[in-house]
Amino acid sequence: MEKMKLKLLYSDLKSDIDIIERELEKAVDSSSYLINDASLHLLQAGGKRIRPIFVLLGAKFGDYDIEKMKDVAVPLELIHMASLVHDDVIDDSNMRRGRPTVKSQWNNRVAMYTGDFIFARALEYITKLEDPLVHQILARTMVEICNGEVIQIEDKFRLDQGLKDYFRRIKRKTALLISSSCELGAVAAGVDAKTVRHLKRFGYFVGMSFQIIDDVLDIMATDKELGKPAGSDLLQGNITLPILLLKDDPEMQPYLVKVFAGTLTESERQNMLQYVRKSHAIEQANRMSDKYLKKALQEIDALPKHPVKKKLRDVALFMGKRKF
Amino acid sequence: MNATYIQNSIAQLKTEIFMDVRHRTLQKYTGVPVLDENQLFYLLIPFLNGEEWQQEQQEAAITVGIVYAALAAHDHIKELDATSKEQQLTVLAGDFYSGRYYEILAMSGNVALIRNLSQGIVVRCEQQIKVYENEQRTIEQWYASMSTIESGLIAQFFDLYSFGKYIPLVEKSLLILRLEKEWTAYQRGQMSLMGKALEESVRRNGATFNSVIQRKIVHLKTELSQIINQATFLQSDIKQALHAHVEASIASTNG
Repeated sequence: MEKMKLKLLYSDLKSDIDIIERELEKAVDSSSYLINDASLHLLQAGGKRIRPIFVLLGAKFGDYDIEKMKDVAVPLELIHMASLVHDDVIDDSNMRRGRPTVKSQWNNRVAMYTGDFIFARALEYITKLEDPLVHQILARTMVEICNGEVIQIEDKFRLDQGLKDYFRRIKRKTALLISSSCELGAVAAGVDAKTVRHLKRFGYFVGMSFQIIDDVLDIMATDKELGKPAGSDLLQGNITLPILLLKDDPEMQPYLVKVFAGTLTESERQNMLQYVRKSHAIEQANRMSDKYLKKALQEIDALPKHPVKKKLRDVALFMGKRKF
Repeated sequence: MNATYIQNSIAQLKTEIFMDVRHRTLQKYTGVPVLDENQLFYLLIPFLNGEEWQQEQQEAAITVGIVYAALAAHDHIKELDATSKEQQLTVLAGDFYSGRYYEILAMSGNVALIRNLSQGIVVRCEQQIKVYENEQRTIEQWYASMSTIESGLIAQFFDLYSFGKYIPLVEKSLLILRLEKEWTAYQRGQMSLMGKALEESVRRNGATFNSVIQRKIVHLKTELSQIINQATFLQSDIKQALHAHVEASIASTNG
């Protein structure tokens, strides 16, 4: 149902998204059959392709040419894909989107080489654009994402952190790449600086809202919907917003102690999830997501008059209210 | 130019690389980036031979070194102890170094080198992963993979800056060094996965690893000596330095 809604939302961009899908397949084509298999395994797992979508929507404010825009959209999706492959090695994850991860289907080294290959292909691809500004934006984003991941590891299993730590982390983990997608699409299409700034900020706010919802869904959705056990983030030591809001709750504390000690049983996991689902933390987290969403919509209002503004609003609202 | 000058040049390059990828947390858990001094020596050969070497070439050499460090970090990822903090941060160290090489070149607008190095990384990954493919490969194919892994990125850099004439001697030198490393590891029972795959190919051919590797090393060294002797573009002191590298490796091979 949710996927249908998303497809409907993208319907007038369908032909361009199809071009990008085909380009993604071409981009990961390799002389190594193993890299081919692993990359196609990733591509076929699907994904919302939100980064390419935001590249295209950002570019609509300028000289939109899909032939040029695909040179930005494809690398951004590739970078996202590659980082997921490496993340699964870091988290020792066996399932993603209901499918075995590259590291579990093959092994850690194959995942590392596949990730490095895809990263390199992304950069090779984007060098079709000679504008140094494009590369500066993307390079800074890549370094910052990495810094964010380092911080995430440092913050694992740490309850002595505040909301500031959480927001700093999700900014780098998710919001930056979405923000850069909007910005890069606009820059590549020659959009004026003021509009680029609004689009960049729009992407940042949408990204923040998106990640909060992602963290809520990790608790609220079923194992089947997630394609992995609900509560995986916490089990891996990542303190997400709902958990952070409950960290001092006396009823939550025994669960946290067991999670951190690695002794939480399956029935305790279910009970813990039930407890968090019924708590005030979910509503509070949703409110915070809405706040970011509202700011994103304000950025749309500041953009010049253009039919694509409605589409930006629809996509943002969908992302902020999604159920998967 | 003497050995001290060469050592100082390598040390300076190393320092500049370390400075560019300095990261408190990564260094705390994963140490400084892994750099192979032999690779750095061959990376600097055009400079040591007096070719035009401005800030741009030095920066390019630094980024090649960073890419080698990034890929070396990922070569250290193990199957066991998968969730240790060291292992997790080693994955990120590689990604961080990759981001930094891109950032440095993006800031100076060197899009051509970004393209060349990306292509080099693509090919290197394709060769690295061969050990996991269930395909019977010849001894020569494994040599070619090792050569690409060791010198492919330097070749990409040389190609862009019209230092192409140095590529054959760098390829041969670094392959010799790789084979010697594999031979030493073989004797200790600590071969790399690719070394083991090479050994398997040798065994399939009904030969012994020892004799095949030794013959190849001697053959490569003879070819390398000829290249050095015939290279009119090489200054006599750099020829001596290159010969010294060969001699040092002959001495180590003969034990």
